Amino acid sequence: MRGAAQSLKYLLLAAALAYPLMPFRDVYVLHVLVLIMVYMVLAMGLNILPGFCGLLDLGFVGFYGIGAYTAGLLTIHYNMSFWLIVPLAVLNGALFGVLLGAPTLRLVGDYFAIVTFGFSELVVLFLTNEIWLTRGPLGIPGIAPISLDVTWLATLLGVDERWRYAFRGEVPYYYLAMVMVALVFLVMTRVEDSRLGRAWLAIREDPMAAASCGVNLFAYKVIAFAVSTGIGALAGAFLARWTLFISPDMFKFWESFLVLCMVVLGGLGNIRGALVGSAILIALGEVLRVALPKLGLPAETRFLAYGLIMVVIMRFRPHGLFTQVAESTMQSSLIKDLRARIAARRTA
Amino acid sequence: MDAILTVDGVSKRFGGLMALSDVSFAVERGAITGLIGPNGAGKTTMFNCVAGIYTPTDGRILFAGGEGEPQNVAGRKPERMTALGVARTFQNIRLFSALTVLDNVRIARHCRTSANFFGSVLRTRSQRAEERAIIDAAMENLDFVGLGETALSPAASLSYGDQRRLEIARALATDPKLILLDEPAAGMNPRETEALVDLIHAILGRGVTVVLIEHDMKLVMRICKRLVVLDHGVKIADGSPQEVRANPDVIEAYLGKGAAHA
Ligand SMILES: Nc1ncnc2c1ncn2[C@@H]1O[C@H](COP(=O)(O)OP(=O)(O)O)[C@@H](O)[C@H]1O
Ligand SMILES: [Mg+2]
Repeated sequence: MRGAAQSLKYLLLAAALAYPLMPFRDVYVLHVLVLIMVYMVLAMGLNILPGFCGLLDLGFVGFYGIGAYTAGLLTIHYNMSFWLIVPLAVLNGALFGVLLGAPTLRLVGDYFAIVTFGFSELVVLFLTNEIWLTRGPLGIPGIAPISLDVTWLATLLGVDERWRYAFRGEVPYYYLAMVMVALVFLVMTRVEDSRLGRAWLAIREDPMAAASCGVNLFAYKVIAFAVSTGIGALAGAFLARWTLFISPDMFKFWESFLVLCMVVLGGLGNIRGALVGSAILIALGEVLRVALPKLGLPAETRFLAYGLIMVVIMRFRPHGLFTQVAESTMQSSLIKDLRARIAARRTA
Repeated sequence: MDAILTVDGVSKRFGGLMALSDVSFAVERGAITGLIGPNGAGKTTMFNCVAGIYTPTDGRILFAGGEGEPQNVAGRKPERMTALGVARTFQNIRLFSALTVLDNVRIARHCRTSANFFGSVLRTRSQRAEERAIIDAAMENLDFVGLGETALSPAASLSYGDQRRLEIARALATDPKLILLDEPAAGMNPRETEALVDLIHAILGRGVTVVLIEHDMKLVMRICKRLVVLDHGVKIADGSPQEVRANPDVIEAYLGKGAAHA
């Protein structure tokens, strides 16, 4: 059973890697797959707050927007390289995360959720009204695509050529998105299985007991906020240089809700769950967008379908599809060693 | 007396209710002190004041963890108290129940370790060494309370008595100098209670001072060197078990008016 699941995973990965190279590949499918991967990054980032720390964040999209506009503006004004923009956007997202989190994380429960919601609405208002900076509702068109300039490598190798690769079409973005998902996944699993991740999970499980174990609740919530918003901004930066157009209405509250649904569907606090939740809800959204008009229903009724799914999930699997928390911990080599030691002790 | 903890005139008010009024007592280093009294007397509130969960409305709490002058710790945050060397268990068990037994204890090493976000992501050499040390310390404490073999089971799967022992292991893993046990025998069967008595003596053997809230009078009289009795937030007696047992105020508090003369 375990072996079969493992093989299936590798098979899926191989198929995902090979698909863009196949003659039957489809641009629309590729586009949807990239979109899924953007949401995977968002869902993994959001998961830190409600999943690891038990903090309901309804304003995640605000940081997605901050990342996208940081990237968009730096590109059109300074023609800055994407590879430089990524760390700047992440830092900017984390900075706003701390600025919002530091004064509000002392609020508990619903109050905190309302403040985050308010913040994301504020971001949209800012993007809409500060026309001098953002061009307002018109959005920012004509953002340059990503390019990879490795002329320095050519120089190093003594080749007198310009080694510059500009991203065109969906395929390079597809592979880049894969790298991004893999990196964020690696970071999240490593953090989950660490002193930091354990402190977060302790806060989620029982804040009073966590504090009595020496966890500074406030500091660790602020760190969670910074990491989460930084990842949200990363997804935003990718979005800006992929869609090449951004506008305020791409960052409405609905997006926060959608990402939250992905995390809840996958299982709060489960990183794999965040990936699966994103894939399901985005794929479903696309299917419904095509199917509903054929049934004579407006495409917007798909929001109803989302709601229905969430109700069904909450009824039959209240903890989501993957219920295990701290999964990567159980796979760490230290724990495997320990398991063997305990087993040896039992038999001895 | 060499006091590790001196409670000096501590009061705690919740709205109109004085949960503690002007309570003073001292806890002798290296001994077991019992904090007793009827339900609602303010015992848990006293623990919460010492452990930093509540800030006393009034009074001083002097803690002499190491060498040097005792310092007033009233109003310190709980994580600061833990770092200073005060650990506690909870009357209604508060475990991290979605996590494993091991992780419950590993979290308690938080205040004695230092890896941060970057160390965790990059898996630096010092971070890996620290993780190994955390596991060793956690296992040592689990073995100490007899739960070593259950380390990788979910904490929620333990029996009630074992969950109480896990809370003790978690508290001990913070390397305390003083441990506050809030009704550790509650819900235990006689055999588990016997094992608990041995465990408390073993904790003392590690050089950790114990303060115990307990309703089982036989147990308290047997293992405590000194007792402090609270009733309605007021300290009504303080002394050796024999002295306290003979105190008419204590008998009255426990058995009602007139009982002292019966
Ligand atoms: N956080 C709180 N808010 C209001 N009242 C409280 C709070 N904590 C305890 N109390 C009250 O203080 C009194 C003492 O409670 P407690 O310390 O739990 O008693 P004990 O542990 O001795 O049974 C009780 O009347 C209780 O209702
Ligand atoms: Mg109590």
